[in-house]
Amino acid sequence: MAGIKIKYTKTERARQKKILKVSERMLPLFEAMEKSLMATINTIAERIEQIREEIEKNRKAAEPWTAVMSDSWVNINEYISVNKIITKTIDVAGVRVQQFVKVDFNVMPMNDDTPLWVDDAIELMQEQLQLLAEIEVLKEQIELLEEELLDVRARVKLFENRRIPNAKLAIRKIGQKLQDDERLTIATAKVVKTSKQMEGKL
Amino acid sequence: MVYLMTSLPSLSLGEAPPITIDEFNDDAKRELSSRHFKALQSVDIQKLEAKVGVKNISSLLETIKEDLSEVRTAKAQSRQAKPERLPLNALRGNPLEREMQIMQWQWEELQDIEAGKTFTLTEVLVYKLKLQLVERSYSFNKVKGAEVLASVVNPGKNKEGK
Repeated sequence: MAGIKIKYTKTERARQKKILKVSERMLPLFEAMEKSLMATINTIAERIEQIREEIEKNRKAAEPWTAVMSDSWVNINEYISVNKIITKTIDVAGVRVQQFVKVDFNVMPMNDDTPLWVDDAIELMQEQLQLLAEIEVLKEQIELLEEELLDVRARVKLFENRRIPNAKLAIRKIGQKLQDDERLTIATAKVVKTSKQMEGKL
Repeated sequence: MVYLMTSLPSLSLGEAPPITIDEFNDDAKRELSSRHFKALQSVDIQKLEAKVGVKNISSLLETIKEDLSEVRTAKAQSRQAKPERLPLNALRGNPLEREMQIMQWQWEELQDIEAGKTFTLTEVLVYKLKLQLVERSYSFNKVKGAEVLASVVNPGKNKEGK
C-alpha cells in the first residue's frame, strides 16, 4: 500500500469495494486451479513411475536371453529405428498439452537368413521405445503444467497478499477519512450556528 | 587338402574358437587349389548360401532357409510351425535357448554330412560352416548383449553415461 495515493472519495471507495468483491470471488477459483494442477502433475509423475517400472520389468524378463543380442552375425541397430513420435493435442487442467499416441518405427524387413531371435528383439525394443517415448511426452506435459502452476501461484499470492489487503485498507482509510470529514463539517456547522446565535444575543 | 585338414584344430560348439575364419581362409588359400578355394568361399551358413556342387550342404542350407521362413510365417499366422527338417523342440525356450538349439541341430546335421568324408572337399566345407557356428555361439555374451539392447532403447542415456 506504501506509495499508493488514495483518493478519499465515495467513488473511490465504491471502486475499491468492487475490486475487493471481484478479488474475493477470483481467489477461490485460482486456489482450486492450483490444487487441480498439483493433483494432475502428481498423477502424471505417478504414471511416469509406473512406466519406468514396466520398462524395468520388461528388461528383467528379457535378461535371460539378452546375450543373443551380441550375435556376431547380426547388427540389430540396422533393423529398427524411431521414425517419429505421434501425439495429439488435449486439454489437461486447462492447459493445452501433447498426449502420446504411438511411435512410428522404421523396421527393416526380415530376410530368410535373419536369425529368429531378431523378431523377439524387435518386439522387445518396440515395447521399450514406446514406453520411453510416452515418458518423454509426459515429462513435457509436466513442464507445461508446472509453468501454468507458477503463473497460478503468482496470481493467488497477488490476490492474497496485495489486492485483497490493499482494497480492504483503502476502504477502511477512505471510510475513516469520510467519517472525519463528516464530523468536521458537522462540528464547523455547529460552531457557525453557535457564533451566529452569540452575535444575535449581542 | 590332407595337410590342411590335419593341421586344423578340432572344434567344439559352445567353446572359444581355436582359430578365426580369416586365419582358416588364409590357411585354406595356401593349401587348396583355386577351384576348391572358390568352392569354399561360396559356402556360408550365416547367409545360408552354397553355390557349390556338394548336394548335402546346399540342401541343408536351403532347408534351414525354408524352415526359418516357415517358422516366421507360422508365427505371423498364429499357428504351429511345420518345418521340414528343423525339429520342433529346437524352437522351445527363450530366444537364446532357441538359437542355441537350432545351432546344435545344424552342428549335428553337419556332422552327419561329413561322416565318412575324411580328407575331402566336403570335410573342408563343413569345417568352415562349423567354425562359423563356433564363432557365432561364442559371440553370445550377457554383458555385451545388454549393451546392445541399451544402445537401441536408450542411446541418449548411454551417451550421458559415457
